[in-house]
Amino acid sequence: MTAAPSHLDLLEAESIHIFREAAAQFRKPVLMYSIGKDSTVLLHLARKAFYPQKLPFPLLHIDTTWKFRDMIAFRDKTAKDFGLDLIVHVNEDGIKRGINPIDHAPSIHTDVLKTQALKQALDKYGFDAAFGGARRDEEASRAKERVFSFRAAGHRWDPRKQRPEMWRLLNGRLGTGESVRVFPMSNWTEKDVWRYILREKLEVVPLYFAAERPTIIRNGQILMQDDARLQPKPGEEVKMRRIRFRTLGCYPLTAAVESDASDIESVVTETLNAQTSERQGRLIDHDQAGAMEKKKQEGYF
Amino acid sequence: MTVQALRKSGTEPSAPPARAIVPLRDLNGIVHLLTCGSVDDGKSTLIGRLLWDASDLYEDQRENVRKSGRKAADSDLPDYSMLLDGLVAEREQGITIDIAWKYFDTETRRFVIIDSPGHEQYTRNMASGASHADVAILLVDARAGVKKQTKRHAAILDLVGVKRVVLAVNKMDLANYSEDVFRKIEADFRTLCWKFGFWDATAIPLSAVYGDNVSTKSAAMPWYTGPHLLEHLEKAPSRGTAASGAFRFPVQTVLRDGQDFRGLAGTVSSGSVNVGDSVTDALSGRSAKVIRIATMDGDLKSATSGQAIALQLDTDIDVSRGAVLSASEMRPVAAQTVEARMVWLSETPFDPRAGYLLRTVTDLVPVATLEIKALLDLETMSSHPSTHCNVNDIAVVRIALGRPAAIDVFSDISETGTLMIVDAISGASIAGGVATAVNAKADILGDGHFILTREMLGNGLCRDLSLSSTDREEFMRRANEAAILLRAAGVSVAIEPPPMVDDGMDPGL
Repeated sequence: MTAAPSHLDLLEAESIHIFREAAAQFRKPVLMYSIGKDSTVLLHLARKAFYPQKLPFPLLHIDTTWKFRDMIAFRDKTAKDFGLDLIVHVNEDGIKRGINPIDHAPSIHTDVLKTQALKQALDKYGFDAAFGGARRDEEASRAKERVFSFRAAGHRWDPRKQRPEMWRLLNGRLGTGESVRVFPMSNWTEKDVWRYILREKLEVVPLYFAAERPTIIRNGQILMQDDARLQPKPGEEVKMRRIRFRTLGCYPLTAAVESDASDIESVVTETLNAQTSERQGRLIDHDQAGAMEKKKQEGYF
Repeated sequence: MTVQALRKSGTEPSAPPARAIVPLRDLNGIVHLLTCGSVDDGKSTLIGRLLWDASDLYEDQRENVRKSGRKAADSDLPDYSMLLDGLVAEREQGITIDIAWKYFDTETRRFVIIDSPGHEQYTRNMASGASHADVAILLVDARAGVKKQTKRHAAILDLVGVKRVVLAVNKMDLANYSEDVFRKIEADFRTLCWKFGFWDATAIPLSAVYGDNVSTKSAAMPWYTGPHLLEHLEKAPSRGTAASGAFRFPVQTVLRDGQDFRGLAGTVSSGSVNVGDSVTDALSGRSAKVIRIATMDGDLKSATSGQAIALQLDTDIDVSRGAVLSASEMRPVAAQTVEARMVWLSETPFDPRAGYLLRTVTDLVPVATLEIKALLDLETMSSHPSTHCNVNDIAVVRIALGRPAAIDVFSDISETGTLMIVDAISGASIAGGVATAVNAKADILGDGHFILTREMLGNGLCRDLSLSSTDREEFMRRANEAAILLRAAGVSVAIEPPPMVDDGMDPGL
């Protein structure tokens, strides 16, 4: 190699190194796949880490049953195209209890259908390591997160049990009952994710691109009516707007932005020059003070 | 009227620069900055000011600072340290070792700020943070100069291998922007640099609050002709640009495609490798030729330090995870004993009867004996004999390994000289440090030294295993675990390695 490596080259190599360390040290890892742009990059890095071998672990998607329909279609196509071993887990008990993001507080919906569901799935399959796409730049409470983030029995995050990480040494020896979350993209930023998607020509869910979509304005946020479960309240109306999403999640909890960026280049340009950071689009974070910190203690990423 | 007074009377807070359109192209590398200093030295304000002036902050983040109405001390300027508030509040979490990571881009560069508390009781925090740094900013107050704490920080930087250091002489506004004050501090700093062999050291006079010499040249200090802080940092070499040094390739895992591909996956940790090169496994001494350097983006002709690749060899020399490949004439030592300097990270003090493991870049080796020889005094850099060791101590240790591991002396080839002591039972990271001497001889054989022989293992615990490479790994795994148990029971143990497979073929075939 003659040219000096760019920052993306360096980040990519670091992520590959982390994937290989974890796969070599843990007995039964799984990749947490949430379909969004970060998961797209995470999956791509994993494929690079083990090429030409097949991925040595399955993908796990926690389906709250409230994801955008386009996300589910994209998930299934991705699994098929790359020949991936995909596990989909739903908290059936939570669904039976009628928990949903429209009638319940976002924190309850997230806890039951996401956090609890994730713990169920990890226990059911006996995974001792779960790869996630979390980044340290996302939120202040993540700025100190380790690459190997340890969880005590019951998936509890105990700050005192977090291990110091020095140089490129990753200590994955588990104590009794411990499991680990592995974050290969710890040092990436939101902008890197988009730059990398552009550079590697990765396919992403079409919801990231602007299109005319049926919308409802609620509490000052633009929501998309992805199916009939979301209905306008008195005084609200369903109206077509040209929108796109900066983050993807459960559709009643994900705010859209009005935009004309309809291809990857214009989305990246818009993102790189954005005036606000990305989590403004995620309604669950505004639900309660210190929301992310609390979710982390409980086992959410 | 003094310059300082002029500054105070000014009402114009520096406006954030208009951001140019951010380029889509990749940035020119990454520089990891460690900031060392206490809150009193104005550390948060300096980082905040750097972010405000030079980074790609979002408008909502800037607006928060402006709207807060908070002012930097003794001025009408916004309180830039607010930009780090999220991190400061997180200090209360009680994480055993706190390092906060903050990322920002200038027009051409990615900077990563590694922030760790700098008080005396936080030696382990700073050491772990420093181990990730390319450049360290030592912050001092112009009115106080180089303090004992500054010397401690320099000693820790030296221990973990940071060679590029900037002395930021802050609060020059409170020292009347005096050249005499700065020159005196600079001279003290030079002495420190000579002592530790920092080969890229610069002192910069600045005022974080007013932005003097942070990202623009200071008009108040015309006598200073050197670079401002940002200018200096943008010129610092990025990580991964040095291809010099002897080739080292710690093997992480073996990849197979289900057909004839058997690739050794890893990251080149030093030097470079080309297709056609002969490489040697440090432990067995066996050599083979590189016939392919594989990546998903296509095969490469060569790879250099920092690149993650998979190497295919012309003959199977039976290497797996933990092996380090090198050129045959410049191999790491197949070490049986290691002398090292370690920072004690754990709240649990050293226990001569505990079961310990040694983690190298990709190997995990049972420790036969761990002996504390001395503790290092960071202020005087002198060592005092000791047999005990507590959290935040820096110890000179001697480690006898249960089996050989490929290790370099850190000052020669850094990455393969990094070490971590792991608790065999809890898995906790106990101490991190660097190898200062390595020896291929197991010179500790003496009373009570127990050898787990191949015969003993093969007849019992490993009776079900063949000589295939997969089973060989399993053999070593079981041997390691058996050694750990014995070690925890107070028995000094060494492991006899399993036999080599001569023809590179699985013997069962």
